[in-house]
Amino acid sequence: MPLEDSLMNMQWQAWFWLALTLGAYVFSRWLYRRSGRYLLSPLLLVPALLLAVALPLHTSYAEYSSLTHWLMALLGPATVAFAVPIWQQRAMLARYWPALLVGMLVGSAVAIVSSWGLANALALDASVRLSLLPRSISTPFALPMAADLGGVPGLTAVFVMVTGVFGAACGGLLLKWLPLRSSLARGALFGAGAHAAGASRAHEVGREEGSVAGLVMVLMGLLNLAAAPLLVRLL
Amino acid sequence: MKCLSLRFVRLCGELAVLFGLYAAGCLMVRWSGWPLPGGVIGLAFLLLAFASGRVSPQALKLGAGLLLSEMLLFFIPALMSLLDYGELVREDGWRILLVIGTSTLLVMLSTALAVELLCRWRTR
Repeated sequence: MPLEDSLMNMQWQAWFWLALTLGAYVFSRWLYRRSGRYLLSPLLLVPALLLAVALPLHTSYAEYSSLTHWLMALLGPATVAFAVPIWQQRAMLARYWPALLVGMLVGSAVAIVSSWGLANALALDASVRLSLLPRSISTPFALPMAADLGGVPGLTAVFVMVTGVFGAACGGLLLKWLPLRSSLARGALFGAGAHAAGASRAHEVGREEGSVAGLVMVLMGLLNLAAAPLLVRLL
Repeated sequence: MKCLSLRFVRLCGELAVLFGLYAAGCLMVRWSGWPLPGGVIGLAFLLLAFASGRVSPQALKLGAGLLLSEMLLFFIPALMSLLDYGELVREDGWRILLVIGTSTLLVMLSTALAVELLCRWRTR
């Protein structure tokens, strides 16, 4: 019964990848909390571990994601959950919304124009170029925006992650030599440049920075997504 | 022990509410044809519920806290789509990294400076 055998095998594989993903995540979170080194963050360590196992086995994404796509389905309710911190920060939002709004408009424009311009200058393919545009907003917003623009959501997911890791790491360095006096600007730097990874890094800088970064990240996502139909017409 | 299981039931209930809001958002998107993700509509529903004063954010603290603090886990499977783009990474990898790195630095610089300038100008 070769067919049954291979079916069994596939199921076994799917459970293996789910277990490995969860196990590696729990382990790396524990390690990161203990050591506090950014290189050990689950954002870097888990994909590195998974790739180290998947590449020698010649696993395809379809094989990897047959069960793990349920984890991605949790991004939807996680987006809804952002209502809680936004509501709790409403006083700050009411007070500083003009500065934050201008910052987000500037940041979004710079993100889109510089990605587009650089990708063009380096002669990247149209599908890669389009997938690069929603890079600096967080995944639950970036994936539908990539689809709207005609990019490849799978690629965008990768670019978003690279952006987050790079931005969270470099944001700390930027803070050192930029003369930023307000916690608002420090938080916006992380939230606009490096979405969720930046927001978690900003929490380490300070409480206000963290909540500003979280807020900016959600609002940037909304702003970009709302602008996507307009962008499609411009491109 | 009893306390722990109560907490667990409560957590499941809160997660179910967040899921329900997300599902309602998705239905709304399908029904209306708005170009927004279902999660964003669900987020708007929840903000409206808070604003009406009938629901307190405290009521969803456990579930929302869990989803937000473990959000990195939900991204990781998407990152594994790298497996299908091996050739792209080998050929264009360094150019893509250059675009991402430069553009991210520019975004962080411009956003932070814009907010900082506006804040200084307002407090002057």
